[in-house]
Amino acid sequence: MPVLASARAFFGTWRGRFITVFVLVQLLLPLRYYVHHRDPHDERFAWRMFSPMRMVQCVPQLTLAGSPVDLRGEFHEAWYEIAARGRFGVVEAMGAELCKRHPDQRLEAGLACTYLDGSQRSYGGYNICAVPQL
Amino acid sequence: MKSTFELEVPAAKLAFGRFVVFALLAADALSQIRHAPRYGSGFNVAQLPGLDALGPGRVSYGLCELVLAYAFVLIACGVATRWLVPIAAVIYNWLYFGSQLDSYQHHYLVAMLLIVACFVPWQRPSDGNGALDQPVKSWALRLILVELAIVYLWAAISKIDPLWLNGSALSAQLHGSLRGLIDATIGMHAVAILVPLTELALVLVWARPAWAYLAPLGILFHLGIVWTGLEIGLFAWLMIALYLFVVPDRVYVVAVRVLAPVRTTMTALARMLERRRWIVLAAAVLVGLACASVCRLPGAHLVAVVATVCVIAAGWRSKRLVALAVAHVLALGMWLAIDRTTPIARDYYKFWGGTARRLNDPGTAETAYRHLTEVAPDDASAHFYLGKLLLAHDDTTGLDELHASQRLDRAHARGYIAEAQWLAAHDRLAEAVTAAQAGAAAEPNNAEARSLVTTLIARSHGR
Repeated sequence: MPVLASARAFFGTWRGRFITVFVLVQLLLPLRYYVHHRDPHDERFAWRMFSPMRMVQCVPQLTLAGSPVDLRGEFHEAWYEIAARGRFGVVEAMGAELCKRHPDQRLEAGLACTYLDGSQRSYGGYNICAVPQL
Repeated sequence: MKSTFELEVPAAKLAFGRFVVFALLAADALSQIRHAPRYGSGFNVAQLPGLDALGPGRVSYGLCELVLAYAFVLIACGVATRWLVPIAAVIYNWLYFGSQLDSYQHHYLVAMLLIVACFVPWQRPSDGNGALDQPVKSWALRLILVELAIVYLWAAISKIDPLWLNGSALSAQLHGSLRGLIDATIGMHAVAILVPLTELALVLVWARPAWAYLAPLGILFHLGIVWTGLEIGLFAWLMIALYLFVVPDRVYVVAVRVLAPVRTTMTALARMLERRRWIVLAAAVLVGLACASVCRLPGAHLVAVVATVCVIAAGWRSKRLVALAVAHVLALGMWLAIDRTTPIARDYYKFWGGTARRLNDPGTAETAYRHLTEVAPDDASAHFYLGKLLLAHDDTTGLDELHASQRLDRAHARGYIAEAQWLAAHDRLAEAVTAAQAGAAAEPNNAEARSLVTTLIARSHGR
């Protein structure tokens, strides 16, 4: 069985194991987006160049004790832009940061998104200090 | 493993590809310095969970990009690649994975490629006897091409989406002359189908028998993406550069033969310089420091001094001192060339000042705008904001800054308004009225200026 012997020789070296792990990770990591994701806007590591999802436009809305928070005054503009792409992780981290800055207050976090086909969807809308995920 | 995975290519291919790819990466690193003010604002979300606290700050990001640009030029020149590629890989991966602020997909690709590039024998054997047509075996070079194949595969899969296939996603992103050409010829729908088909074909980029067909296809494909003018940084150019490893070997073998006389001349020159190696090193140190001293990129002086010390220390023992000296000058010369031909330094201070101002940090904003007025004395906004910040703590030099802003921007009233408001607040009503009137004259449609004139005149009459 020369194929088996060749495979054994391949995996027997550190190079062979490195190549195998690297290729497997790179091949399988994008699957995370298609199989197991809770944020449809987070296309990182999935090689989705020029995807329709990249064209989503979201408005992150955080209200502290009923008053809207000026996110651009609290976080760098660049973070606001990422949040406006609908990335849950960033909106949640913004929420967590504001909960830390204003303990014992109700902070409602929401994301209103418009997609390329014109459809709209809202996420969150509840106290993110109590429920930390959108 | 060696017979199946290792790729054998002429040393010339490796050397030429290395030069172009790493020179591009150096340019890309320098272009990222303008984004440094995004970092270190006290809030960070890393690419990987648990790393938020390890993200780079503004200063460290800027310094690291300078170090990367310097290292990439040395690598491009084939200097100390066995040390510098791993160092660059570590720094690059830290910057990329440390924060989601870097959302360029090609930076993720470069982060991966740099890890693999640590195992490519970049310098052998061409650093020795100069046998550029000598074959070099590398499994890591094959792995780089396999990584490209994986990128193409997933890029094609991601386009199996009705919104892509009906052309609407492409249509929403394409503008300019290419858009017009497509609309006038085969149409957006056809291109939307051709793109994933091309990407699927390019999945075979790792297989040598396909190179003769895929090299022109891939290069044309990415040139098309360059033509779209999409804001994707140097991604398309980087992909074209990576195709230098896909161009068939015989092209390089012929090029080596044709360019043999040039190479002989260069080798003779290098030997001559080698006899005066200490003079060459001294000249490189002086020229390098001169370049760095007039470079306006933040942190350039510090990194250049450290680099110079490293070059002197390494030159002491280096067998390739001339190559090291030339690469050092090229690296620092590139900083200067890019600084003086692009608005990177200006953007850096402008973004830094703007960020600090919005985040209510006037002290930092003042420092940033002061630097900006030095780097770009013709920037009216810089003088305007600096003037306002100075006047906020009654530093009257702020008035000089506002006057500079008014001289540079005669079409807007904001400089005059700011001056009038401060003067009025300090009981200098007559001067305030004059300033407000000048503002209204400069921008007659500015309601705030007109209203200020009215208010101030009423106030002065009321006295």
